[in-house]
Amino acid sequence: MLQQWWLNKKLKRLINNNKLGKPEHLQTHYQYLLTNLNQPISKTDLLALDIEMTGLNPKKDQMVSIGVIPIINGQIQPKFAQHKFIKIQGSVGQSAVIHGVLDKDLNNALTQQEALEWLFEQCQHKVLVAHHAQLDLQFLQQSLRKIGLQPLPLFAIDTLLIDKRRQFRKHQFLNTGSLRLNACRERYNLPIYNAHNALTDALACAELLLAQLNKMGGLETITLAKLLESH
Amino acid sequence: MDNSELQPIFDFMRRLAPFDSLQEQTLKQCCKVLTIAYYSQQQKLVHVDSNDPQLYIVRSGAFEVSTQEGELIDRIGEGQYFGFSGMLSGEKVVNQVHILEDGLVYHLPAVMFDQLRANCHSFDRFFNQAFAKRLRNQGSLKHNHISTARITNIMSRELTTITRDATIHQAALLMSEKRLSSLIVVNEDKLCGILTDRDLRNRVLAKGLTGALLVEQAMTEHPTTIKPEALIFEAMLKMSEKNIHHLPVVKGNKPIAIITSTDLIRSQSSQPLLLIGQIDRQNNLESLIQVSQKIPDLLFNLISSDAKAMEIGRVLTSVTDSLTRRLIALRQEQLGPAPMTFCWLAFGSQGRQDQMAGSDQDNALILEREATKVEKDYFKQLSEYVCSALNECGFPFCPGNIMAQNPKWQLTLQQWLQAFSKWIKTPDPSALLNATIFFDMRPVFGDLSLFKQLQTTVLKNTKNNDIFIAALSQNALQSTPPLGFFRSFVLERDGSEVKGIDLKHKGNALINDIVRIYALSVGIEEVNTIKRIEALIALSAIDKDIAMNLLDSWEFIAHKRLTNQGQQFNNTQPVSNYILPDSLSSLVRHQLKDAFKVIHEAQGTVKHKFLRQF
Repeated sequence: MLQQWWLNKKLKRLINNNKLGKPEHLQTHYQYLLTNLNQPISKTDLLALDIEMTGLNPKKDQMVSIGVIPIINGQIQPKFAQHKFIKIQGSVGQSAVIHGVLDKDLNNALTQQEALEWLFEQCQHKVLVAHHAQLDLQFLQQSLRKIGLQPLPLFAIDTLLIDKRRQFRKHQFLNTGSLRLNACRERYNLPIYNAHNALTDALACAELLLAQLNKMGGLETITLAKLLESH
Repeated sequence: MDNSELQPIFDFMRRLAPFDSLQEQTLKQCCKVLTIAYYSQQQKLVHVDSNDPQLYIVRSGAFEVSTQEGELIDRIGEGQYFGFSGMLSGEKVVNQVHILEDGLVYHLPAVMFDQLRANCHSFDRFFNQAFAKRLRNQGSLKHNHISTARITNIMSRELTTITRDATIHQAALLMSEKRLSSLIVVNEDKLCGILTDRDLRNRVLAKGLTGALLVEQAMTEHPTTIKPEALIFEAMLKMSEKNIHHLPVVKGNKPIAIITSTDLIRSQSSQPLLLIGQIDRQNNLESLIQVSQKIPDLLFNLISSDAKAMEIGRVLTSVTDSLTRRLIALRQEQLGPAPMTFCWLAFGSQGRQDQMAGSDQDNALILEREATKVEKDYFKQLSEYVCSALNECGFPFCPGNIMAQNPKWQLTLQQWLQAFSKWIKTPDPSALLNATIFFDMRPVFGDLSLFKQLQTTVLKNTKNNDIFIAALSQNALQSTPPLGFFRSFVLERDGSEVKGIDLKHKGNALINDIVRIYALSVGIEEVNTIKRIEALIALSAIDKDIAMNLLDSWEFIAHKRLTNQGQQFNNTQPVSNYILPDSLSSLVRHQLKDAFKVIHEAQGTVKHKFLRQF
C-alpha cells in the first residue's frame, strides 16, 4: 500500500512538473505507468530491456547496444524484438570480449540522442523490465545528461531484485553470483542460453520475469505497483 | 546474422523435426511470429482456446494430454508438441492439457502452421494424422537388392500360349518362329500345362511319335507356378528344388508370363541363394554349423541394403527352412527312410516367415499313425539330431519346449486334431495363451497332405466360431502398445515410465495377434501376417484403412527392429529387440508413436468386433 501511494505521488508530481524539459514520449510513459499502477501485470504491456556497455561505471563507460522485446498479454513477442547499436567515443576496447560488439559494428550506429529517442518511443505505452535494472537506468540517465537534459527519474521492474527478495524471504544465504541472470534462470529450470548479446539477454530477462510472476501467484494477481522500482 | 533475430529460439527450433527440414529463411520467419509463454504448475491446466488454435511447442517443462474422461493420451516434454490435432481436423479440442512441471512454451499461430503445411511437404506429412502416408514413404525399398527384387521386374511383357487341342507340329512351328524354349498351354484362358523343348524331345521324338500328336498328350500338366509378387529369389529356390527351368507366372488362374532359368541367371546370382546352395552341398554337421555362421552376415547385408523388413524375414526363413531340410536329409542318410509318412512343421516366426536375428526354433511332427516303440525311437533320433543341430547353427532351443524332439509334440494327425479341437472348442484363455503359436503353422518337410488335412479341419473349426475367437481376442488384448516417449523413457498407457521397449513383443507381436484373430475368424490359410492382411482385404473381412495402417505399422516397427539390430551388430553388442528411446531421432519417435496408436486403435476394433465390448 505504501509503495503504491508513494509511486502514485511521485509519478503525479513528475507528470505535472513542466520545468523538467521532459521528452514528449517520456511524459506519455509516465502517464502509462500511473494509470496502470493498480492493474494486474497481465493487463500491462511490458518491454524487457538489456544494454551492453563498455564497462560498469555509468560516469566513465558508454552504451554500445540496446535490445528490447515486448511482453503483451503475458506473452513474449519475438516479432517486435529490436536491437540497436550506439555510436561511442573511442573504441570498445577490451569490453568486446564481454558483449561481442566490435568497432566496425558501430559504423552505422545511432547517436546517443537517436538511441534515447528511439527507446522512449518504444516504451511510451510499456513498462521497462531489466535484470539489475539500476545499472541500465543509470546509464540511460547519464546519457540524458550528456545530451543536455535533466537526468529524470526512471522506473523499471527488476528481475534481480525480485529474486533477491524471494531468496531473503526464504532466509537463504546469497552467494556471489547467485543473482546473475543465468543463475536465477537455473532456479526456475529455464534453459541456459550461451549466445550473449543485448537481445538474447532481454529475452532471457523476459522469460525469467514470467517464471517469477508465476511462482509469486500468477500474472492476474500481482499489480504493477508491487513490482515497480524507481531510480 | 541480423541482430534483431533471437539466436536461442532459432538454435532450438532448427534441431526440431519437422522444423529442421525447413529452409533457413522460412525457419527464421517462424521464430519471429511465435510467442512465448510460461506455464506454472499452480495453474494446473493450459487454457487451449479452440477459437484461436495454435501449435504449442514445449521449450521446457512437462505436460500431459488427457481426454475429458481422464484417459492419458500423451506426456509431452522438451521438443514435443500439442494442440495441433484441432488445426488438422478443424474440430474443437476437448482434450485437457495438464501442467506437470513449470516450463516455457512457444506458440506458433495457426496461420503460420497452415502456411508451412501448404508449402512444405515434409512438414505437412509430419503433422498429418493420415499417418499411413508418412510411414509408407519411410519403408520404401530404396535399393533393388537381388534377394528382394520381384518377379515382375524381370518377367517379359509378352506371353505366347497354345491351346491343348493344337498339334505338336503347330506348337513346334510357333516355338521356332518365336524362338521360345517353352509354351504355356491354356484352356479357355486358364493355365492347364506347359510344353518345353525337353517334352518334345523326351515325350515325342524319343518315343517315335509324330507331330500329329496333340499338345495335351505331351505337355506337363499342372506345372509348378509362381505369383507375380514373388521374389526373384523365391523363383530361383523353386526351380532348384524341383529341378525345372521354366516357371509360369500366374495371377489367379490366368497365366501372365513365364520365367526361365536364363532370366534368373541374367538377373545375377544372389547371396542368399549362394548360402542355400552351400547348405544343400554340406555333408556333415560341422560344415553346416560353419556355413550357418554366415547367416548373421547375410541378415546384416540385407539390413544395410535397406530391404523391406517383411522381405528380409522371408529370405531369412527360407534359409532356416533349407537348413532344417538338409539336417533331416543328413540324419535320414544314417537312419534310413522313415517308417511312415510324416510332416515337419514350423510354428511361430518360422511359420509366419518373419524370422529375424535371435529367433528361436518352434517345430513339431505330424505322424501318419500311432508309432510302435521302434518307430518312436526313429523319430526320437531324427528330431533330437535336427533340433540340437539347429541350436548349434544359431537357432536356440525353444524355452517353452515346443519342439519336434519333445514327445509331446510328435503327434499323429488324429492327436493333432484332438489337441486343436480342445483349444478351439473349450477355449480356456490361459491354456490358449500358450497355444496361439500353433495357429501360425507351416509345413517345412515331408508329407504335405498330412498338413493340409490338419489345416483344413482347424480352419473349418475356427471360422465363425464366436466363442473361440472371443477367447483369442481376450488374450490378444492383454498386452498393449506404449503411448509414446517422454524424455528418455517409454511412456506406458497407465502413465508409468520404463527405460526401453521391446519392439517385438510390444509392436510386431501385437499386430500378429490382431491379424491372426481376423484370419482365423474367416478361415484364411495364410500364416504370414502381411499375406493374411492382404487376404483379409481381398475378402473384405477387415476395414481397409485399418488393414493398410496395420501393414504400414508392422513394416515400420519391424524395420526399426532390424536397423536397431544392425547397429547392435556393428557395435558388436548382443543383438536384441530392445530399443532405448535416447537412440531415436525425434522424427522416428513421432512415427513409432503413430504406429503404436494404430495398434491401439486396431485393438479397440477387435474388442468391439469380437468381444462385443466398447
